Amino acid sequence: MKGIVIDGVGLKLTTEDNVATALDDLEAGRSIDAEGLDIELLEDISFGHKFALEALAEGDEVYKYGEVIARTTKPVEPGAWVHTHNAESTRGRGDLAGVEQ
Amino acid sequence: MVSTFNGYRRADGRVGIRNHVAVIPTSVAASSIARGASEIGAWAKPTPHQMGTSQPAEAREQTERVLVGIGQNPNVGAALIVELGTEESDAGELADRIAETGKAVETLSIRDAGGTRPAVERAREVLEDLNEEASLARREDADASELIFAAECGGSDATSGIASNPAVGNASDRLIEDGGTASFSETPEFIGAEHILAERCVDDELRERLLERVAQREEMADMMGVDLRGAQPTPGNQEGGLTTIEEKSLGAIAKGGTTPVEGMVEYAERLPTGGGLVLMDTPGYDVESVVGKVAGGAQVVAFTTGRGSTTGNPIAPVIKVAGNPKTWEKMSNNMDVNASTIIDGDSVEEVGGRLYDTLLSVADGQHTEAEKRGLEEFAVNEVQPKQIAGSGVGR
Amino acid sequence: MSRSDSLVENSFDGYRRPDGRVAVRNRILVLPSVICSHLVAEEIAEQSPRAVATPHDHGCAQLGADNEQTEQTFLGTAANPNIAGTVVVGLGCEHVQSDEVAAAIDERGLPVRELSIQGVGGTGPCIKEGSAAATELARNADSTRAAPASIDDLTVGVVVGDLDDSTIEHADPLVAELVDRVVAAGGSAVVAGNERFAAHPDAVRQRSAPATLDDIDAMLERHEGLPSRANAVGRAAASADADATLGALGTNPIQDVLSYGEQAPHDSGLAVVDAPSRFEEAATALAAAGAHIVVHVTAEGVPAGHPIVPVLKISGDVETLEALPADIDINAREASADDLERALLAVAGGQETCTESHGLSEFAITRIGPSM
Repeated sequence: MKGIVIDGVGLKLTTEDNVATALDDLEAGRSIDAEGLDIELLEDISFGHKFALEALAEGDEVYKYGEVIARTTKPVEPGAWVHTHNAESTRGRGDLAGVEQ
Repeated sequence: MVSTFNGYRRADGRVGIRNHVAVIPTSVAASSIARGASEIGAWAKPTPHQMGTSQPAEAREQTERVLVGIGQNPNVGAALIVELGTEESDAGELADRIAETGKAVETLSIRDAGGTRPAVERAREVLEDLNEEASLARREDADASELIFAAECGGSDATSGIASNPAVGNASDRLIEDGGTASFSETPEFIGAEHILAERCVDDELRERLLERVAQREEMADMMGVDLRGAQPTPGNQEGGLTTIEEKSLGAIAKGGTTPVEGMVEYAERLPTGGGLVLMDTPGYDVESVVGKVAGGAQVVAFTTGRGSTTGNPIAPVIKVAGNPKTWEKMSNNMDVNASTIIDGDSVEEVGGRLYDTLLSVADGQHTEAEKRGLEEFAVNEVQPKQIAGSGVGR
Repeated sequence: MSRSDSLVENSFDGYRRPDGRVAVRNRILVLPSVICSHLVAEEIAEQSPRAVATPHDHGCAQLGADNEQTEQTFLGTAANPNIAGTVVVGLGCEHVQSDEVAAAIDERGLPVRELSIQGVGGTGPCIKEGSAAATELARNADSTRAAPASIDDLTVGVVVGDLDDSTIEHADPLVAELVDRVVAAGGSAVVAGNERFAAHPDAVRQRSAPATLDDIDAMLERHEGLPSRANAVGRAAASADADATLGALGTNPIQDVLSYGEQAPHDSGLAVVDAPSRFEEAATALAAAGAHIVVHVTAEGVPAGHPIVPVLKISGDVETLEALPADIDINAREASADDLERALLAVAGGQETCTESHGLSEFAITRIGPSM
C-alpha cells in the first residue's frame, strides 16, 4: 500500500495530507498515535472514511493524495469525521452558476 | 520475457480473445428481435439498445460509430445486423463498414422477413451459418502487445483509490511495458485530477484537448442548472467514504498507472494497437463507458469496484477487481481478483502482477465470473437534444 | 359523439384491485432501480409466475431533472392498475436507491418488496430471493377478483407516432373516434407524442381547456429550440397541416398536461403527456400515467410491445400492413370505429394482442440531459 500507515488503523497517503483514511471501523474515544501526535477520535469513523489530523477552520482546504479534495464548511477539530456534513466539493457547481456572476 | 496468449487472428491483423457472433440491432425497434433470435446459443451475443429509428444527426452518428465499432471488435468472429427496415441508419451500410475487417457479416430486415416470428426464425438460420463460418477460426500464438485493455471503475469507495485502482494501474503499466495499449475514460472522473493527467500528456495540443473535455463535462452541471453532487459522488460512493468528485477522481486516475498519456479519442472511436496509454472521452456511467471502449476495440476490461458492481459486457470479458475486503468476502461469486489484500499489506506491484496474469489467462480463454453468469449489460451513450442545441457540450 | 352512437357492448371481464381500481392484466412487476441490476431483474421475472421486468438504461450518473423523472416514472409504473405487486431490485450504490423507491410505492398502499445485489451478497442470491418475493406477491395476485367492468373504467393510452398520409388519412381519424367514445362514456384518454404539439403551438392552445393553458405553455417552452428525439416525426410535424397533425386527439378539450412519468389525476376526459413519440418511451409514460391499454398509431410498424400494458398496433400504411401481417392488430384502412372499440374491449377482457402473443417487449425512459 502506498502512503504512511498511522498506528495500524489510519492511512495518510502523502505527507501533506491533513486527513487520514480509516483502515477499519474505528470507535469514538480511541486514541491514535499520528506520527508522534496524539489524536483522540471524536466520533465513530467507518472503514474508508476520513478523520482530521489537525484543526481546520471553516473554508480551509482538505488535502488527500497531496491534493485538494474539498473545502470545509465549518470548523473541524482534530479526530473529527470529515465528510459531506462539514466539507464540500469546489467543482461542478451548476447550482452556483447564476450566483457567481 | 515477452508475455503471450492464444487468440483469434482476424483478417485485419487484430487479435480476438473470444469468437462471438454479434447480433446488432440498428434501433430499439429491432432490439427485442435481436435478443429473441440470440437465444439460439451462448455464442450468439445480442447488443440490444434503446436508440430510436430516427435520431438527430449528431446522435445518429455516435450510435452508428458504436454499432460499427462493436461489429469490428476482434472478439467478434461474425456479425448479423438486424433492422426493422425504416431506420435512418442503414443496416447494409453498417454491415459494409464492419465487413472492411474481413469478417462475415449479414443483414436482416424485419419488414422484408415478414414480421416478428419469421424474422426470428430467419435470423436463427443466418446465425447458424455465421457461427459455422466463425467456428473455423483457431486460437494461435499472439503477443501481449496486440492487446487493448480497458480500465473502468464503478461502485467506487475509498478502497478504490487505495487498492483496486492502483493495482489496475500497475497492470496497465505492465501491458504498456510489453508494448500494448491501455485505455481509461470517464471524463467526469477527471474533475479535480485533470492537472495531474495534463502534466502526463505527451504534447500541448493533447493537454489542451484534455482540459477542454473536462471543462465541457463540468459545464453539463451548469446546463442542467444543478450541483454536480446530484450525480457524483453517488450515494454508494459517499457511504463508502468518498466526500467529493475531486476525491473520487484522484482515486480513479490511479487506474491509468504511471506512463505518459499518448492520446485521447472520442466516445467509441478506434483505439490504436500498441499505443501505450490512451484516454477516451466518455461519461462516468459505467455500462455506457465500457461499451464505448469495447466499440473502440478493447478486447478485455478490468473493472474495479469497492461497493460491488456486477455488470459485464456481451463482447469483451470483464474482470472484476474488488478493493474492499468486505465486498470480496460477501460477493466473491461476482468478483475475479481480490485487490483488498493491499490494505492488509500486499504491495501494489504484487497484486498488479497477479491481475496481469489473470488478464492473460482471460485472454487465453478463461471465463470471468460475469461471463459465467451471462451478465452482459449493454447501453449506448446518446447525444441529447440539449447538448446539440447548446454549446456542443459533451460532443 | 355520444355513447348512443356506439353499437358495441361496452363491458368486459377485468380484475378489481382491493382499492377498487379496475385492471385488465394481473401482473407482478420486477423493477430494476438502475441499469446495473436490469439483467438480474429480467432473470427474476423469467423464473416467477405473472412477472414482467422493466429493464432500462437509467438510475445513476444522471443530473437533477433526469433523476426526478426516472424516480417519478418508477412510481407511476408500479402504480399502474395492471400491476398487482412490485419487487424493486437495486445494485446498492446507485443514485436512485431501491429502498427509497420501495418506500414510496409502499406509501401509496401498494404491495412491494425490495432487495439489492450488494445487500444480499451477489447476483445469485439476489435472483433466488427476488424470485421468492415475486412468487409470494403472485400468490396474492392469484386471489384477485375477476370482475365485470366497462369502458368508463378504462384509461386508454395513445401513442401518436409516425406522421404521414397513412396516419393522417386513416389511422388518426379512427383513433380520434375511439378517444371521443371513451371520453363520452366517462373514461379517460392520455395521448403521447410531443413532437406534434411542439410543431403547432397555436393549434394545441386552441384545443386546450382554459385552465390548462399555462401547463400547455410550460410544455411548449420545454421543447422550444430543441431538435426532436424522434427526428423524422419532428420534421414531418413541422411541414404538415396543424389539424392533420393533431387529428388523433379527437374533439374534446385537453384537460391536463402530464409530465413524463406523472400519474393522471383525472378519471375522465382527455390529457396529453409530455413524452416523445419514440414508442417504448411513449408507452412507458402512458403506462405510468395509468393507461390500462395503449393504442400505437404507427406507419413504420415498430413490432415491440410493452411489459406493463397490452398494446394495440394500428396502421394504415399499405406496405407495413403487407410486410408485418402478424404484428399489426388493426388495419386502419378497413376497420370501423366499432371494430376498433370491439378490439379494445376484447383486449381489456384478456384477449392477447400481437405483441403479447410474440412475448417481446421494450421498456425505456426518456431523457432530459446527458449521462454524466
